[in-house]
Amino acid sequence: MSIAGHPRLTRRLGLRATVTMSFAAGALVLTAVLSIGTYLVARDYLVEQREQAAIGQGFADASYVRDGLLTAGKPVSEVLGEVSPPADTVVFVHRDDEWFSSSLTLGSDAVPADLREQVSRGTAGLAWARSSGIPTVVVGVPVPAAAAEFYEVASTDELERTLDTLATVLTGFAVLTAVAGALLGRWASRRVLAPLDVVAGAAARIAGGDLDIRLPVTEDPELVTIIGSFNAMVDALHERIERDARFTADVSHELRSPLTTLMTSVEVMQRRRGELPERSRQALDLVAGELERFHTVLEDLLELGRLDAGTGAQTRARVDADELVRHALAMSGRTPELLSHEGSRLAVDVDVDKQQLNRALVNLFDNADLHGSGLVAVSVRSGNRTVSIDVDDAGPGVGSAERARIFERFVRGGSRGSRPGAGLGLSLVTETVRGHGGTVICTDSPYGGARFTVRLPLAEAHLPAAIS
Amino acid sequence: MAGVAPRLLILEDDDSIRAALRLALQDEGYEVTDCASAEEALELLRSRPPDLMLVDLMLGGMDGYTFIRTVRPASDAPIIVLSARNDTHDIVAALEAGADDYVTKPYEVKEITARMRALRRRGSRLSTSTSAGDRVVLDREQGPLTLDIRAGRVARGDENVHLTVTEFRLLCELASPPGRVLSRAALLETVWDRGFFGDERIVDVHVRRLRTKVEEDPGRPRLIVTVRGLGYRLDVR
Repeated sequence: MSIAGHPRLTRRLGLRATVTMSFAAGALVLTAVLSIGTYLVARDYLVEQREQAAIGQGFADASYVRDGLLTAGKPVSEVLGEVSPPADTVVFVHRDDEWFSSSLTLGSDAVPADLREQVSRGTAGLAWARSSGIPTVVVGVPVPAAAAEFYEVASTDELERTLDTLATVLTGFAVLTAVAGALLGRWASRRVLAPLDVVAGAAARIAGGDLDIRLPVTEDPELVTIIGSFNAMVDALHERIERDARFTADVSHELRSPLTTLMTSVEVMQRRRGELPERSRQALDLVAGELERFHTVLEDLLELGRLDAGTGAQTRARVDADELVRHALAMSGRTPELLSHEGSRLAVDVDVDKQQLNRALVNLFDNADLHGSGLVAVSVRSGNRTVSIDVDDAGPGVGSAERARIFERFVRGGSRGSRPGAGLGLSLVTETVRGHGGTVICTDSPYGGARFTVRLPLAEAHLPAAIS
Repeated sequence: MAGVAPRLLILEDDDSIRAALRLALQDEGYEVTDCASAEEALELLRSRPPDLMLVDLMLGGMDGYTFIRTVRPASDAPIIVLSARNDTHDIVAALEAGADDYVTKPYEVKEITARMRALRRRGSRLSTSTSAGDRVVLDREQGPLTLDIRAGRVARGDENVHLTVTEFRLLCELASPPGRVLSRAALLETVWDRGFFGDERIVDVHVRRLRTKVEEDPGRPRLIVTVRGLGYRLDVR
């Protein structure tokens, strides 16, 4: 089971880390296997060599000792003395239950019991042992002609140190290779993931609205497919959006023409109200009212459609936020006394499409009247690089659970019955404000009802206003 | 303007809209002649030139823009464009072709009549500081270029400079007195009676049109100067 297939690990680590770690692990495993193999092979070889040497030496010395022992009158100690083993070797002779050693310090316990047993029964043998912490190889040779046993104990300390050094070097090597593997993995993952980053970047820009982005065509056979599909997808998306925008434009024209005739004709009739009987007048008022409502819904819907498609042409102009609100109030038949300005009295300019913002503000005023028992106050606050416009009512307010929902389309407060409007007002506000790089939220008003706050970015101070 | 009913030409190819507008505007006191095609309208213009025109941009045959461009050299009458869209290109193109203002569908008759009233005002709303007499020399190096407010004409030397009613009023506004910076919003208010939410492009296009007629080099205007961030100013030379 590879790491790449392990869900929990990859979720925490991510693709890049996974690739890096896989490379590191792979390198480590590989070098570990190699190192251990090398070590084992080397050790077996060296050990075998040592044993052969010990055996060779042992038999040679045993032969010499046997000759010496068979010489009449020679004491064993003299024979041992003549053997003159190398500095790290001690020779023993066991005869008649007596032990003779060439060393003053090493006793017969240097010879393992098993080997003694074996040699006493007449078979030469070799054993590895440890005497006072020093590793040794012991060779035992029976000397039946002299009714004795010969033992040679040689230190294998150097061998052991050699092997230890080898082990250390190989281990160090393995670690270094693992690190190198990790670095290689990092580099490899970066190379492999680079195209992904490019795709991700392009996708982000497309999501942000820039539909002219396409990925550069490549000759890399691995990437050709994904780049081709991606570009095709964006083309399709672009075309779809343009089709929708054209549809909206065509629909708007088709709907507006009959509406024009209807509204104009109603105006003509209204002029002649006096000539109409009472019931006709009432019917005329109903028609006029519903036409107005139809008009509002149509315009809101079309505006929303334009904002959605990004084809809402904005003609931006620099205005003082205060003035904008004052005019919005005046144009919708409300008293300018509702407006208050907090903070510094300096003009706070914003770059906005006046008509779109006006519509958004009036929608908020109407909303306050409709659902908030009446618009109570409007205030303009300048903040750090933004200006906030608060629209307050003293109505029932909006519950925190509802606050996100009310900005959705066709969500209407209260019963359908007498309320005009189709529930598009607040979603228009959201789309308009967002299109200007701002935000709109609903909170509690200090007047007891709901407060809708529109926050817009301040106009850039160093840029000139509308260029001619 | 009491007494004689102003003559209004409506050029609109949608029969229903045309009929409804005719009814409504006759009620408002206009003498209405309506045409369904630009060709028909051009014929009519030869015999009975109207005082005002309402022109729909989307027409079968010759379109609204071409009609306006064709008519302009021969007529100063205010032209209000009836447009189905608020798109930048359509409106600006119409204004550049020679239109004075626009309304978008669906129109309220109130708005149409308000626009027409604003455009037909002659001199009543001009600034009262015409102390230099009614003849103002605008540019000594061009003829000289003179503005005669009372006579309602602009002349380069002896030659008449052909301006539409609205262009003339815009020039008068800038010249009374010259040297003041006037914001687009202010100009929209006095010349077009448009208020805060008026479309500032109307002013921009009209200044451009004015420049092509009174500037020596419209590409480098010295008479009607743009003041960045504030508006326009007339500098007498």
